[in-house]
Amino acid sequence: MTTKLHPLLIVFAAVIFAILVAPLFIILGAAVSDTSFLTFPPQGFTMRWFTNIFDITAFRTTAITSLQVAVTGTFLALLIGIPAAYAMNRFRIRLPSWLSNVFVLPILVPEIVLGFSLVKSITIGLELPVFATLLIGHTLLVLPYAVRVVGASLASFDFSIEEAAISLGCPPLKTFFTVVLPNIGAGVVAAFILAFITSINDVSTSLFLTGPGVSTLPIQIIAHMEQFFDPTIASVSVLLMILTVGVMAIVEATLGLTFLTK
Amino acid sequence: MTVSLTLDNVSAHYGSTQVLKDLSLSVKAGELVSLLGSSGCGKTTTLRLVAGFLEPSAGSIRLGDRDLTRLPAHQRDIGLVFQNYALFPHLSVRDNVAFGLKQRGVGKAERDAKANAMLERVGLSAFAERMPAALSGGQKQRVALARALVIEPPLLMFDEPLSNLDAKLRVDMRVEIRRLQRANGTTSLYVTHDQEEAFSISDRVAIMNAGRIMQLDTPEVLYQRPANSFVARFVGFENLIEMTVTERNGEMVTATTKAGASLTLSQTVYGAIPDRFILAARPDGLAVRQSGEGIPVTLGIRTYLGRAYQYQCTTSTGDLTGNGPLSELLEPGAQAVLVPVPEQCCILPPEA
Amino acid sequence: MVKRLTPWLLAAPATLLVLAFLILPVGSTLATTFLEPKGWIAPYVTFFNSGVRRTVLYRTIEISVITTVLSVIIGFIAAYVVAHVPGRLKSIMIIAAVFPLLTGVVVRSFAWLILLGKNGILNSALLGLGLISQPLSMLYTEGAVIAAMVYLFVPLMILTLAGVLEGIPKDVLEAATSLGATPFGVFRQVILPLAMPGLIVGAVLVFTGSFTSYATPQLLGGEKQMMMGTLLYQRAMVTFDWVGASTVAAIMVVVTFVIVFLMTRLARRLNPMVA
Ligand SMILES: Nc1ncnc2c1ncn2[C@@H]1O[C@H](COP(=O)(O)OP(=O)(O)OP(=O)(O)O)[C@@H](O)[C@H]1O
Ligand SMILES: [Mg+2]
Repeated sequence: MTTKLHPLLIVFAAVIFAILVAPLFIILGAAVSDTSFLTFPPQGFTMRWFTNIFDITAFRTTAITSLQVAVTGTFLALLIGIPAAYAMNRFRIRLPSWLSNVFVLPILVPEIVLGFSLVKSITIGLELPVFATLLIGHTLLVLPYAVRVVGASLASFDFSIEEAAISLGCPPLKTFFTVVLPNIGAGVVAAFILAFITSINDVSTSLFLTGPGVSTLPIQIIAHMEQFFDPTIASVSVLLMILTVGVMAIVEATLGLTFLTK
Repeated sequence: MTVSLTLDNVSAHYGSTQVLKDLSLSVKAGELVSLLGSSGCGKTTTLRLVAGFLEPSAGSIRLGDRDLTRLPAHQRDIGLVFQNYALFPHLSVRDNVAFGLKQRGVGKAERDAKANAMLERVGLSAFAERMPAALSGGQKQRVALARALVIEPPLLMFDEPLSNLDAKLRVDMRVEIRRLQRANGTTSLYVTHDQEEAFSISDRVAIMNAGRIMQLDTPEVLYQRPANSFVARFVGFENLIEMTVTERNGEMVTATTKAGASLTLSQTVYGAIPDRFILAARPDGLAVRQSGEGIPVTLGIRTYLGRAYQYQCTTSTGDLTGNGPLSELLEPGAQAVLVPVPEQCCILPPEA
Repeated sequence: MVKRLTPWLLAAPATLLVLAFLILPVGSTLATTFLEPKGWIAPYVTFFNSGVRRTVLYRTIEISVITTVLSVIIGFIAAYVVAHVPGRLKSIMIIAAVFPLLTGVVVRSFAWLILLGKNGILNSALLGLGLISQPLSMLYTEGAVIAAMVYLFVPLMILTLAGVLEGIPKDVLEAATSLGATPFGVFRQVILPLAMPGLIVGAVLVFTGSFTSYATPQLLGGEKQMMMGTLLYQRAMVTFDWVGASTVAAIMVVVTFVIVFLMTRLARRLNPMVA
């Protein structure tokens, strides 16, 4: 780059990036504070707020629900999203152009409106179980990642390779799994990660889709926070941040973090 | 208006690696000099130093009586033509051309008039309203050229401006560049790695290697009398034969190859011959004969060239290539001699 | 025959999912407000006649606009630095942006709760420095919501814009410099116009995200700073006013769609790559 950065710009950016990460370290401090209220800097040191998490059944059950929904929802979204993405890239001229707009809708429609509409029409209207509606909601929520992220790697895939395989005697379905899928692997991994993270962190869609006995971890955290303001929340947050670090490590190892700037 | 460009003992570093080593170069007023060399030899680096995108670690750069060495890039007043055109994608063709004038505070009406006139000269009047994305490669290159010319810079620089164009367009464009450069008499520095392009467009060519200029001369001199073995190889002297003088007899000199073959050479033809030297010859500078005084070789593969046969020859000290007449068909494996053709060969200092 | 249907068969499951569980339910929510016996306009009259709900709407717009402006400015400057620093520092900055981005909205809002609370770090610091004698009530203010919301969206903005800025070819900037543009001139005449489409897209993401957010205003604004998301939740789950809730939902959908439609058109018009 030709223009050198003005020192003030660098200082400004350093402050911004410090503010971006500092609050998360404050949570870490608050989680080990030996006080019954949230405070920073921590006073004393204890791990009891971490063990406390496991004494609260609601955290355990909602964490399990969250994981189940995130994994199943992401898997379902990929299962139906990849064929759709494939069809739209491979047979572009044979499908109408509005079809791709259909898969933008879950991003466009406010999540909270989606949750509200689902509870109104599906849970109440069709009397489907709460868990089923929650799963449907999350599948919809992450479907755009499956279609668009995988679609982006399919857009740069050279379909003549597929034709070459078929001309060499490989049946179409087998060709998809042995030739197409390995070449869009990075896109599938990216879609999976983004979808999983979106689902596990979601509040707005899940808000309405919880009921007796069925809730997600973020909703449970909010509920807990409104009653108790003790360091348990901080320790749950720390566990969630460890999950984030794990995901970042996976992203870095598979795609490189810079992929997120694209 | 026309001024000269002088680089005086310039060095450049990227981090800790030195890319240019004590490079001195002078482009006379109104002259077009090319930098020619293989990939990575430092041609672009030289341009970037002059343009001000890179600071030299030593040495100075002058344009006429202005010292450019520490001047900010935007104050240097140099027209630059980039390999990838580097047009502003958000501006129309006319606004691209007018951009430099705008920076100089020229009013809207005047800069549009000047831009239009320049577009006229490069034959793009009809495209003034277009966006760059809607132009062909050759058209983009002409906009880039017009944009650099319209500010009437004392110095024009080109970095491989034609390498993204197809062969036919490349020839047309280089004629056009030369025409516009001549018409304005603008001092120019032109980077290319295409020898034919460099030789056809330039007043003088600087052949570069590993951050140094090996020889700066007119194309004719470079082609016929390379100054060293690097340049010789570069311009097609495939055969470089190390020789040592064994006997001097007036104008006549006898010298032997490492393998012991002996040749008699005339200093009237070759100029003064030092005691150790390299005899450089293109294939048509070594005549293949069945016998006589020459370098004994074993003939290898024969190729038909239309005007002659070319033979790959082997000797105990290396391979040589020579040409033989069409009237005499020699078979691979046969013994023959190679005889230097006086006007086609030259004498070079030995390699260090 | 089967061959001709293949593309459709492949796209069908995902399309049907969106149709059955998004288009129809959301459509029915919108329809609820139009099929009122008292006339389609009635729910909207009720909405705008209620001072509280009107305030909520205006507050939501105000907070969203301020959040968008701040996020765009802060994000752009930070992204500009990210795009221009050398590799190692760049990776650190990207990590610093990605980490909060991948951390959930609840955790990130919670961090600001600790930061701004009565016993929070900011109050402790100000007390410690002797700048104040009583802890300030910073929570449940518009400022708290905006701060947390900006914090929520800046990482997204940085990553989007860093990609845009890095995509501007270096030689285009050098061309501008060689033609005599000052560093500021290069910024204003080349970088800014080329980044504008990305800037607009980013701004739309932030605005619609803020406009429809729930967790952050709920946690940091509480009842006092109620926004549209919380209003929707209250109408539906506290007062069981389905029509009222649907009206809020409809307003959210309309605002989102109009903004997205207008802004993407603007972004496309400003995109130089489209001839
Ligand atoms: N930004 C950089 N950082 C480090 N090294 C660089 C950088 N740019 C160029 N170099 C190195 O400097 C040397 C000269 O590069 P330069 O670009 O001047 O070559 P060139 O002659 O223009 O080659 P080409 O014909 O391929 O364009 C090369 O070895 C290159 O690897
Ligand atoms: Mg180069």
